Amino acid sequence: MASNTYEDLSKPKVINKKDLNKMAWRSLLLQASFNYERMQAAGWLYSLAPGLKKIHKNKNDLSKSMKSHMEFFNTHPFLVTFIMGIVIAMEEAKENIDSIRGIKIATMGPLGGIGDALFWLTLLPISAGIGASLAIDGNVAGPIVFLLIFNIVHFGLRFGLMHYGYKTGVSAIAKLKQGTKFVSHGASIIGLTVVGALIASYINLNTTLVIKAGKASVALQADVLDKVMPKMLPFAYTMLMYYLIKKGLSPVKLIGLTVVIGVVGKYIGIL
Amino acid sequence: MLIKALLIALWAGITGIDLFNGLTHIHRPVVTGVVVGIILGDIRTGLIAGGMLELVWMGMVPLAGAQPPNVVIGGIIGTSFAILSKQDPNVAVGIAVPFALAAQAGITLLFTAFSPVMHKADEYAEKANLKGIDKINYLGLTILFISYFICAFLPIYFGADSAASMVALLPQTFIDGLSVAGGMMPAIGFAILLKIMLKKEYVAFLIVGFILVTYLNLSILAVALLATAIALYDFYANKSKESNAAQKEVMTDGI
Repeated sequence: MASNTYEDLSKPKVINKKDLNKMAWRSLLLQASFNYERMQAAGWLYSLAPGLKKIHKNKNDLSKSMKSHMEFFNTHPFLVTFIMGIVIAMEEAKENIDSIRGIKIATMGPLGGIGDALFWLTLLPISAGIGASLAIDGNVAGPIVFLLIFNIVHFGLRFGLMHYGYKTGVSAIAKLKQGTKFVSHGASIIGLTVVGALIASYINLNTTLVIKAGKASVALQADVLDKVMPKMLPFAYTMLMYYLIKKGLSPVKLIGLTVVIGVVGKYIGIL
Repeated sequence: MLIKALLIALWAGITGIDLFNGLTHIHRPVVTGVVVGIILGDIRTGLIAGGMLELVWMGMVPLAGAQPPNVVIGGIIGTSFAILSKQDPNVAVGIAVPFALAAQAGITLLFTAFSPVMHKADEYAEKANLKGIDKINYLGLTILFISYFICAFLPIYFGADSAASMVALLPQTFIDGLSVAGGMMPAIGFAILLKIMLKKEYVAFLIVGFILVTYLNLSILAVALLATAIALYDFYANKSKESNAAQKEVMTDGI
């Protein structure tokens, strides 16, 4: 069908490293026009623009390509450059528009999932946990260390994946599927170990309750809980929150509940 | 105060853009805290309040595109009010949440309102007008900047004094209670992370991380490195197991 193929099917190599970097820079604005109808579509087209302009000298082809890239699109904003690399390689090869669309749809979901696991659930807790631990001690290095760790990985991947995606083109898809399992498995191991450490480090919850039995008085925290296991209350409270969240309570309700527990606990003198 | 409020609002505008674009993460409370601290002349409280808010917001990430309570407005207003009302940094968390929720609702509205603009983008695509697409994206950025600027400016410029005097009216026990609650808040962020990540096969690692800190007093970085070592070992162990299995299959096929 004519509408799914480009008019000008000549395939000169026009994309160079500079173009790829330009598109990777533009990908920083992927969500500038985010909306619930097309999500990242217009930002995605904005990022691809330098490449598309070079590839499609034929105005009808450029219009066709632009229209297809205005369709709904949503993936992880860091890993998007990988899809961009593949898609620009396909555009340069003047592939059928349907297969380009297919690749976009096939990759945007899994990459969204990997990105969430990798960045929001592993890199952010680790780097921000380190930064926050310094900041809470009043150390100005906290924010700086956080930004350095986070962005070395962020920009390394953003630019690296752009070139990698372009180079490997379509064959990359198969490789990606193999790697997904290992990446999410490894990210889960590191992420959960760090969450365990964060629970022990950053939740402050001690009881001031003192049990008086005749002349003897027992401070619940120092004499009982700490001897059984340090940080028992923070762990227990996290588990309670985890249970309630699984029950379907929203984070906002839990924040409200925590405020109530803190204030009431203080009033009756057990916290 | 006008100049300080304007500076904070400017910072809110920039970091509001960073929350969706750029994502260099200068918008996280651990960074905005110290910047607000510098503007208001109390770096130490800024650092501590920012660090506390960071831990609370750790699990509230935009998974699959869903909007969590707004981290930019929550972080900046929480830290500002903690400094201006001269309260314990832990109190910042309690102040931050209502503003973060209001901003979350505002952002949802903005993303809905921007949907019709896409039809203009379709027209530009039809005419192969790449400049038009640029314009639409720059318009989105401008609207984001202005929204955050206003959201931060109004409460800080008009509310800081009254917030401070309101806080002064509260009984001390209540404020202490808020502070206790602030110490407990990170549990919520961690619980959200657990809901997403925790599967039976990984429970062991949660316990290992907890023990490394409670009994061995290791730092977070040490724990992260140790976990990376375990993950690497596991990766190669699985890989060789898989290639062994593959070899065996080939052999049995051969026989």
